[in-house]
Amino acid sequence: MPSIGEPLLLGFSSGLACLAACGPILLPWLAAAGAGWGGTTARLAGFLAGRLAGYLGFAVVAWALGLALPLAPRSGIVLAAVVDVALGAMLAFYAVRPVRPVGPCGPMARRTPRGIGPVVLGLLTGLNLCPPFVAAAVRAAQTHSLPAALGFFALFFAGTLVWFLPFLGVGAVRRFTAVPTVARFTAGLVAVYYGGRGIVTLTGVLLHVWHGRT
Amino acid sequence: MSGTAAPDTLEPGPRSIGRSLLLTLPMALWGLLMFSQTLRVPGSAPKVAGLVVFLFMTTLFFLMMRTRRTYRWRRIFFVSVGFLFPVHFIWDLIALRGSMSIPVEQMVGGNTPFCFLAIPMMIVPAALTRTLIFPGSILPTASNPHAVASMVALWLAATLVLGKGWCAYGCFFGGIEEGFAALAKKPRIRRVDPRWRWMPWAVLAATVLLSAALYEAVYCTWLCPFKAVTEFPEVNSVTSAVQFAVFMSLFVGLVIVLPFLTRLRTQCAFFCPFGPFQALSNHLSVFDVRIERSACTDCVTCRRACPTMVLDEKSVEKGRAGMSCMKCGACVDACTKGAVRWHIRGTPLSASSETARLLYLFPAWAFATLFGGSIIANTLTKLLELVL
Amino acid sequence: MQRLTSFLGYTGAVLTSVLMLLMPFVLFGLFTGAVARTGVRVDPVYSGGEPADTLARDGYAIVVNHPVRSRAPLAPPAPFVQMTWTPAAALPASVADTVDVDGDGAADLVARFAVPADTSAPLFVDVVPLGSRVGALTHASRADLSGMIVRVGGRILVRAPLSRR
Repeated sequence: MPSIGEPLLLGFSSGLACLAACGPILLPWLAAAGAGWGGTTARLAGFLAGRLAGYLGFAVVAWALGLALPLAPRSGIVLAAVVDVALGAMLAFYAVRPVRPVGPCGPMARRTPRGIGPVVLGLLTGLNLCPPFVAAAVRAAQTHSLPAALGFFALFFAGTLVWFLPFLGVGAVRRFTAVPTVARFTAGLVAVYYGGRGIVTLTGVLLHVWHGRT
Repeated sequence: MSGTAAPDTLEPGPRSIGRSLLLTLPMALWGLLMFSQTLRVPGSAPKVAGLVVFLFMTTLFFLMMRTRRTYRWRRIFFVSVGFLFPVHFIWDLIALRGSMSIPVEQMVGGNTPFCFLAIPMMIVPAALTRTLIFPGSILPTASNPHAVASMVALWLAATLVLGKGWCAYGCFFGGIEEGFAALAKKPRIRRVDPRWRWMPWAVLAATVLLSAALYEAVYCTWLCPFKAVTEFPEVNSVTSAVQFAVFMSLFVGLVIVLPFLTRLRTQCAFFCPFGPFQALSNHLSVFDVRIERSACTDCVTCRRACPTMVLDEKSVEKGRAGMSCMKCGACVDACTKGAVRWHIRGTPLSASSETARLLYLFPAWAFATLFGGSIIANTLTKLLELVL
Repeated sequence: MQRLTSFLGYTGAVLTSVLMLLMPFVLFGLFTGAVARTGVRVDPVYSGGEPADTLARDGYAIVVNHPVRSRAPLAPPAPFVQMTWTPAAALPASVADTVDVDGDGAADLVARFAVPADTSAPLFVDVVPLGSRVGALTHASRADLSGMIVRVGGRILVRAPLSRR
């Protein structure tokens, strides 16, 4: 059974990397919503809940596989590329969708299940197979115990959490009316990057497979 | 000089030749100081080039004094720099490596010339790891005189003096599109959605965030239109071919075609991430452009004249140009009522616009002579060496 | 109050001109020195890192740098170690050197490359790993920053990929 400090420290030390990896997605997305403190906190909470769900889901996978059945390198690449494309599509959606109606139109907007967007986004970014994350997965797998693996990833998540708190400040910039417009453009640009990267990777894998057959 | 006094909205006609010469004298002396150094360089080409540029810059300043107009004379200088800088740069590259493309050995050797456009993207990685995500050198070397520290120092000093005025007097790229914008007598495309003005902020945010995540200057490697007229990574793979295609497309679209169709500096107005970054420094500058509401007739002439769409209905209503104003003087020159005015922060709006213009123009033109003038002189030297 | 703000405004305007006058003579040198004094370095992914060891060979030397691991959080390039054969002029027509990249006394790789007399001719390198620390390269040239061979000045630089562990 690993100590409590180890996953916390691992999460905290890799948190900056997580932040840098998620920042390009999270910052424009939060700003594009144009919400105040409360709205931003709710969205960030949803995002982090999705991220925690992703972590815990991965803990289960890591435990089940126990690294005895390591993911083939090509499958890992394909998974990462699919996640990239999904992220790109999601950000593109946020970039082009109309501004959420307010005032009398508010009740209509609230018919959409609230929180599903942030949770899905958090889940997708949580599945980012960055080196610290993989390192944590290896440690969790080595515990050979489901509760221990889940606990390890929960603490790892708690360690990364500190770095996400500054994102609450996004709500403060809401008074600048141009911020949502800028954020939408930014989300569109970052979507092009992620989507493009995913498509290029998938194309490369397909070409590789094609050449292998011929 | 009180806040309630009537502003001198309509400036008098041309200044007398004597007064104009007197006001030009300090700038002529500055020009002499700058270009007298060419006398020490062996050969006649640098001397002739130095003399020509001295006369060129001094004459333009004299005309600014005489006519009390800024924009058209500044444009002649700015377009000259824009079109001559690539000639000079490419010339050096061909002489050094025989190609405009930068091979990987030059990159790992730290020989990539540094450009100010990379500055915003380097700040986050430099703060986190004290490393610069640019394949250049920190201090100038024999094989790379355009080092990071020199360019950053020049930019810092220019920012203190000019603020966003860098985009009208310092940037060696903006003149290209300003030249193409000037070619058309009337805009073919008249209506541009003003929301596009926020695009540069998005490009800045996206490139800064992605550069911090990828540890590479994303704008330079993927998006800079001016790679088409300076240097670009050697095309030796699908990725580098895509990069080259992006550079060329953006250059043709944003720097040639759209400026010609809209008469706007479209790359600066709707794409360049350095513009918003530099706009933040406008708060450091004491100079700005104001609109005297009591004299304004809402004729929208100033809004049509602004080459980067900074002036809009709201800013005119507020009586001040937005923070992205580069102080090129187009709106002030265009206003026939004298309602759009040069201004010094802290002074009443009734204070003389011409005094504010002069106090801004002296340092701005001195910088233009020092930096842009040197670029013109260096290019002329190379061209003259072919002839003489 | 208006008089005071006006005075400050005009003072700022005059100071701007003073700063401009100082720029070529004082400010530029001051700022260049200040940037250099911050201690920032070019990212080792580009510079190749700092030298760690020099291995003497017959008439030439191999400078082995510290391993370079990119700190990019997203899609970092593979870690690598840069080795520099210097001077290139003293190298035989065909080089095959065993190199200890981590200084533990055990050889980690064999690097093989031909040195054409024409200095502009392309170079190709094979890296054969002797253990799990280094990755293999076969006929690699210049496409990848983590595995390549280039001629820089009078030296030949080889970068061999390292395992990510």
